[in-house]
Amino acid sequence: MNRFMEVLENVLMPVADKLNNNRYLTALRNGFMVALPLIIFGSIFVVIANFPFLDQWISEDAYATYQDTLGPASAATLSIMGLFVIIGIGYKMVEQRGGESIYGGVVALAAFLILTPQVLDEVSGVIPTSILGAEGMFLGIFTAFFAAEIYQAIVKRDWTIKMPDGVPAAVARSFSALIPIALTLTVFLVVRIIFSYTPFETVQNFIYTLIQEPLTVLGSGLPATIIAVLLIQVFWFFGLHGQIIVNSVFDPIWYALNDQNLQAFQAGEELPNIVTKQFIDTFIVGIGGSGMTLAVIIGIFIIGKSRQMRELGKLGAPAGIFNVNEPIIFGLPIIMNPLVIIPWLLAPVIVALVTYFSMATGIVPKPAGVIVPWTTPAVLSGFLATGNHIMGAVLQLVNIAIVFVIWFPFLKIMDKQYYQNEKDEAA
Amino acid sequence: MKRILLACSAGMSTSLLVTKMEEEAKTRGIETEIWAVAQDKAPSEMKRADVLLIGPQMRFMKKKFAVTAEEVGIPLDVIDPMAYGRVDGKAVLDKALELIGE
Repeated sequence: MNRFMEVLENVLMPVADKLNNNRYLTALRNGFMVALPLIIFGSIFVVIANFPFLDQWISEDAYATYQDTLGPASAATLSIMGLFVIIGIGYKMVEQRGGESIYGGVVALAAFLILTPQVLDEVSGVIPTSILGAEGMFLGIFTAFFAAEIYQAIVKRDWTIKMPDGVPAAVARSFSALIPIALTLTVFLVVRIIFSYTPFETVQNFIYTLIQEPLTVLGSGLPATIIAVLLIQVFWFFGLHGQIIVNSVFDPIWYALNDQNLQAFQAGEELPNIVTKQFIDTFIVGIGGSGMTLAVIIGIFIIGKSRQMRELGKLGAPAGIFNVNEPIIFGLPIIMNPLVIIPWLLAPVIVALVTYFSMATGIVPKPAGVIVPWTTPAVLSGFLATGNHIMGAVLQLVNIAIVFVIWFPFLKIMDKQYYQNEKDEAA
Repeated sequence: MKRILLACSAGMSTSLLVTKMEEEAKTRGIETEIWAVAQDKAPSEMKRADVLLIGPQMRFMKKKFAVTAEEVGIPLDVIDPMAYGRVDGKAVLDKALELIGE
């Protein structure tokens, strides 16, 4: 067993290292972080705008006015989140190399807008907001990568205008960015022109049909989701931060699926996706943290006889409510502990299946696409994520019960061992 | 004044540790500044720290941080998983002081 663990650890560490230090994935993750506060702001207002029962208390007109008044909050943030992600990625790409990062952000944004159709229903000078949201996100991500790379390559070659001494630094800086930005954007303009002669007409269409759609369809399926959930657990079992590693690959897909649901939710249509960012964050991870350890803490309080368990429960509970569970993972311990590998891997998979099918059958509403901050306590987060629906909270309680049952015998064995050890030591 | 920097994924779980370490330092009468940051902030924060301690779940970042740590000339290490899990401020403070070379 030990040898096997060693081998696995030796395989996983380099993977984690590679994924986490890959400069595109790092920029992608940090780019999403730039967008996150805005996305959460927009989500909060979607939640407020769809306050439960309000439509029954006030007249239809008043309700519509109420929703319209709050609409811009999410329209200006959530619905165009692709823009913030693009600026974030461009910024972080250039920042990594120690360049003038804000130019990385704006050059990525401009490059993306160059590739974007600027016509809607034959009215020119219009950019459809749908394309600035989830639909344009994949193209946005690639555009930001390429734009930042080209920009940096030109800066590195030093093809810049140099101002004579005595010119204020701020002026000199904007001139030094002029040629790299101009050349980068020219490249994208040429790309746009080339695509206008293809059947796809725009790069947006090309990416959407060739990459984004197949990828999101794959990512929304149950098998890919189970694999992602299992991978997160396996990484954590070796004490490596599973979400940071796995999410950097899956986030673009999950966010795109999320946004499709949000648009349908706001339009009052049927929600297209079950698996979304919130499916993972709220119903699989957000019940005490990875592996849904809130149920483990509850188990510790109910059956814990050993001092070690009880102390850990007290330590872990306050943080666990807000889905921070490192004390439990490292303290129980869960990492490298062959005894808990079965519940640790099994529980999230069972919960994912239960969550998936309860949503597929319509017992629980699908995630509405609002982003609930990951530190939101369970029950509340389930309610908010399903668009203010009580069944979302109920499902989280059911999930806690499932995890509890799966863990129970294993916790019992562990507690007995610890208790025995403590008695032996005291004797 | 000892400046101890902790880094983890979002700076959340390490901030639990900060409180415990501060308590311990206070009882020992050591003047410290201890703070926790998210991993991507660690390289820029290292400049004003005497030592960097990394949460064990981010230990794959050690190699990357080591480059910056060498530039600014501070020691770094990964926090012991058990001490981390028990939020053992005493053990982690000892480790930090040992690395600083006290």
